Amino acid sequence: MSAESGLSPRVGTASGAEPKLAPRLSIEAKGLRKVYVDPRRGRVEALCGLDLDCRAGEVYGLLGPNGAGKTTTLRVLATLLAPTSGTARVDGIDVAADPLEVRRRIGFLSGTTGLYPRLTPRETLTYFGRLHGIEAGELERRIDGLLDRFGMREYANARCEGLSTGQRQKVSIARAVLHDPPVLILDEPTTGLDVLASSAMIEFIDSRRSAGTCILFSTHVLSEAERLCDRIGVIFQGRLLAVGTLDELQQRTGKPWLADIFLELVRRAGGAADVG
Amino acid sequence: MRNAGSSPAAPAFLAATLRVAWKELATSFRDRQTTFYTLVLPIVLYPFLFWSMIQVSLFLEGRGEITEVAVGIAAPQPSIVPPGLGAGLEQPPGSSREGEDAAAEAARRELNRVHALPERAPLDEAGARAWVARGSASEAAEEPTIRPDAVVYVHEDEAGVRDGLRVLYDSTRTDSKIALSRITRRIPAYATELRASAADAADPGGGSLEPFVREPARNVAPQPAIGAYLLSTVLPVLFVLMTVMGAFFPAVDLTCGERERRTMETTLLLPIPRSAVHLGKILAVCAAALIATGLNLTALALSAEHLLRMLPAASKIEVQLPVRAMLQVAPLLLLFAFFVSSVLTGISSLARTFKEGQALLGPVQILFVLPGLAGSLPGVEITPFLASIPVVNVVLCFRNLLRGDLGLLEYAVAAASLAALSIAAIGMSLWLLSRESLHLSETGSAWTNLRGLLLSSKGSR
Repeated sequence: MSAESGLSPRVGTASGAEPKLAPRLSIEAKGLRKVYVDPRRGRVEALCGLDLDCRAGEVYGLLGPNGAGKTTTLRVLATLLAPTSGTARVDGIDVAADPLEVRRRIGFLSGTTGLYPRLTPRETLTYFGRLHGIEAGELERRIDGLLDRFGMREYANARCEGLSTGQRQKVSIARAVLHDPPVLILDEPTTGLDVLASSAMIEFIDSRRSAGTCILFSTHVLSEAERLCDRIGVIFQGRLLAVGTLDELQQRTGKPWLADIFLELVRRAGGAADVG
Repeated sequence: MRNAGSSPAAPAFLAATLRVAWKELATSFRDRQTTFYTLVLPIVLYPFLFWSMIQVSLFLEGRGEITEVAVGIAAPQPSIVPPGLGAGLEQPPGSSREGEDAAAEAARRELNRVHALPERAPLDEAGARAWVARGSASEAAEEPTIRPDAVVYVHEDEAGVRDGLRVLYDSTRTDSKIALSRITRRIPAYATELRASAADAADPGGGSLEPFVREPARNVAPQPAIGAYLLSTVLPVLFVLMTVMGAFFPAVDLTCGERERRTMETTLLLPIPRSAVHLGKILAVCAAALIATGLNLTALALSAEHLLRMLPAASKIEVQLPVRAMLQVAPLLLLFAFFVSSVLTGISSLARTFKEGQALLGPVQILFVLPGLAGSLPGVEITPFLASIPVVNVVLCFRNLLRGDLGLLEYAVAAASLAALSIAAIGMSLWLLSRESLHLSETGSAWTNLRGLLLSSKGSR
């Protein structure tokens, strides 16, 4: 991404090429557990000692069925939930010890991070930018860059409640990357989007990888994971069943397609019936 | 969790809080419902309400004045009917008014007219009742008569001597009620006339029957004090009502409304302490409540002043807000607004949807309003004990400050009580708002959320 877009490149890896993994861990979780009490379901163990690591310039895909713990993992890393035990570090910062600093260093996007309907895209970006402590002149420059980069000029001053789903998604992306975070956490970012908007999102993820950002994202869409991910982690019942590149997972399971790999891993974990 | 390693300094915290508050306030007033109830309604409601009241009152009064009523006189025997009773009932009360010209007096006499029907005697009371009810004194009406709107029935005792007058009327007929009202006002004047005639006839001289002239009572209270007293009876309780109503919609909108709009997660991702986010919301609710209250009171005062000017009896009353008293009471009002905003914001955060939040805050509103009404009851005087009771203390302190008789001790107790409660309410509200079991809850009712909250101890920063 060029300086014109308001975002600066971090590591010079080329999209489509063999990923050149930076040595530094951007996300590191060890023995992460999350237990909560649901008034209806009782005690729920959403994460059972999950280990996860993700490097700068890497796209890490978290795959799993509904209720596997994907969203909980991402929410813990984004400081939206506090871990019951275990440790998690984002860009070297412990999420439990300094959640505020973690929030400053991440861009988070999910289906439930809605836009303020009564603010315009420009106001939304200004609001977040000022709270990120970006100086007024610099903020203006970045916002203009993002409006151009995502083609949002036309509706920059219209209230978000009147925007289409695709337009909203663009504003959400701009909001998530406005402060140029070293880590992006995306929870099923293409869910509910049409083909064009999904394509724009995939293009965006690819561009951020090129800029050296660490991207951790969860998805249901296996083709997206195959296309984008440097490494894939398969999560099931709060545990990581396997982690590796697509080649590594193919070798480990003897299956050529990611869908089959996923089902084979779940079957081995004894949960095929649940996934069914 | 340990303390945050990157806690911002106090000025940065305050700046972040104010930025959140400003954004929340601005977006609140972009909501049509909030704007309508907070800004438009007070500006339009009171003038419209007072204008309607005056119009309806004038209409009813005018309609009553131009209505001529027919009054019958009946008695068991003709001899006991007092002399000139019919003329007495037709005579409008009061003599010529000061400065009133002949034409005006004639016009006045054309109003409130009573037409006395020919006496019917002998007639028993049952017949008199039937006369009012059906227009004839018996089932088989032998003669067509005018149906009276009311009948003055003259009683006799066992010896056949006049005993008393009873007015018979029909409460289901408007004209009958008008007739009752006119008769009730005219009979005493007629009785006084009879007494004067009798006294004149028997006066022994020397003014013994009228030892002194009774002059009208005179109010020695200065006009501004009367105005302040009037204000003190209505303003404090209105302040409580309006603050609670003003905080209602913003509190719901900024908590469960945000959850319903699916922007709670976005807000929780703000790179500032969660306490700053939640405090900003409370500040926004408080500001909205104060704006709504200010507008309400201003609109009410202007409308009331206009109304008072239209009423001849009240035209001399000076109703002006005493600036000094308002400045003295301002800290208490501010603390109260904080208290209300914190409580409403905290409780509405239990709800999942806007509708559920409204239902939840309905009874909470009453919890504020009832003590406010209790504090405004006549005879309730402020004591150090009452000054410590929330809501009641605001009403009583406000009332006494307007009247200029509030002791320093009571003021200090009320201020301390409100400050402590505000801090406790803000603390409670921040605790509720920071529960992760609440702010990311997507299912369950307010009660389920509360139960989950009690079972879970996780907060977020």
